Parts: sequence; structure tokens; C-alpha cells
Amino acid sequence: MILIHCPYCDEKRAELEFAYAGQAHIARPLDPSALSDEEWETYLFIRNNPRGRHHERWRHIHGCGRFFNAVRDTVTDKFETTYKAGEPRK
Amino acid sequence: MSELLARIEPTPTVPFAGNGVTVTSAPPMARFSLRARKAADLEKLLGVSVPQKIGTMQSGVMCLGPDEWLMLAPDGTKIADGAGLSLAVTEVSDRNVAILLEGPRAASVLAAGCALDFDHFEVGRATRTIFETVEIIVVREAAERFHVEVWRSFAPWLWTAFVTVAAE
Ligand SMILES: [Zn+2]
Repeated sequence: MILIHCPYCDEKRAELEFAYAGQAHIARPLDPSALSDEEWETYLFIRNNPRGRHHERWRHIHGCGRFFNAVRDTVTDKFETTYKAGEPRK
Repeated sequence: MSELLARIEPTPTVPFAGNGVTVTSAPPMARFSLRARKAADLEKLLGVSVPQKIGTMQSGVMCLGPDEWLMLAPDGTKIADGAGLSLAVTEVSDRNVAILLEGPRAASVLAAGCALDFDHFEVGRATRTIFETVEIIVVREAAERFHVEVWRSFAPWLWTAFVTVAAE
């Protein structure tokens, strides 16, 4: 079983306590009505699909309940690091 | 209608005992979900210090998350609503029931469906986690005594799972 380090609980917990929540560091546009349809589409739907390092959001849903960010390798499924929401991209 | 659908008691009142473990339904108690950005506000409300390390419990209050606590108290306890303080108090006494596991095999019964490392889960720890697919809160009250909070509607299933493992 994969263990994931929750940056809030500050311990490694079983993967089944966590939920994946999509790509990380996607900022909601401050003024959505100023965006073209294409820009809005990009914000809503267009995501990276890397082979390798991926920045993604996870939630410790059956633990502290918090969303946080992680860097995971999509080939090996290894978590390189996790860090609190709001901290700069690692 | 089946007996299960009509049953009012969520868990059996007759405890299971054997194979080094007892499984007991805890008596009713008061429960409060407490949300606050600052623990200090909560301490002002309750008049006691509350734990600030996630996953620990003191004086009946457990810290479940960075801004979330759960308080257990004797049945019928009332607390102030926190008006004027930056916090939210919600009474959830009837949302959960608790099942108690006691005895030398208590940890191994829990470990049958829960991935926590009970060799390193010290007395005084309290955390939300998952048993098979059911969300629970585990409190280690003593080396061989666990208090397990579970949502009421999941309790009959969890009881059956505990007793099945305990009987093996
Ligand atoms: Zn956590």
C-alpha cells in the first residue's frame, strides 16, 4: 500500500485515506467575464498530461480533511514531495 | 419489513466477549463539532486548553484537522454557542455512536480493516481514518482500549465486522 505524507498531519498515512483532486496550481481568473471563450475553455478543461513529474492536488479526506499539493511521478506512482496549499510550486 | 430496517438501536446492546477482546456499545454521550481558525477562541469558549497537534486528544477534545475539533462529554452536556467569537459550534451528539474495543487483541481487531500503525499509535492519539470503506474516528484511551466513533447508520455494519474478526 502506498503511504502519502500529509503536510498538515505531518505523518505518512495509507493512500486509501486520500482523494485525488486534479492538477495543482490552477488559479481561477480574477475577472472571468474579461476572458475569451478559448481562454475560459483553457482554464476549465485544458490540463497537463505529463509522463513523469506532475503537480497535483490531493485531499486527506478521511483524515484531517485538508487539500494539499503533491509532486508525483506518473510513471512510477512515487510521491516526490507534498506541501501545504498556498505554498509555492515545488 | 425486515428486522434490520425496523431496528431502532443502531448496535446490539449485548457485548461480545472472547478471544482476548470485548466489543461493547458505548452509552450515549454529547458530541460537539468545533470549528475555529484559532484554538485560542475555542479555549475562551470552553475554559480549558485544547490540543493543537492534529491527531491528539486532551480533556475530551480531539484535534481532527487544522481548524476542526470534536468534543466528547457526558450525555446531556450543553456548551455556549460561541456568539461573538470566531468559531462554529455544532451539536452532533446523535450523528455518531461509539463502539469500544478492549483487551489484548483490541488493536489487532482494528488492524483487520484499518491501516494505521497501532504499534506506534500512542495512548492519547485520536484521528479520523477509515475501516475498510467506513470512515471512523479512533481514540486510543489506553494501551488495550480503543474508542471508535462511527456514523450511526454505519454502526451495525462496523459492529458486525468487529465481532466477526473478534470471533475468528
Ligand atoms: Zn492530514
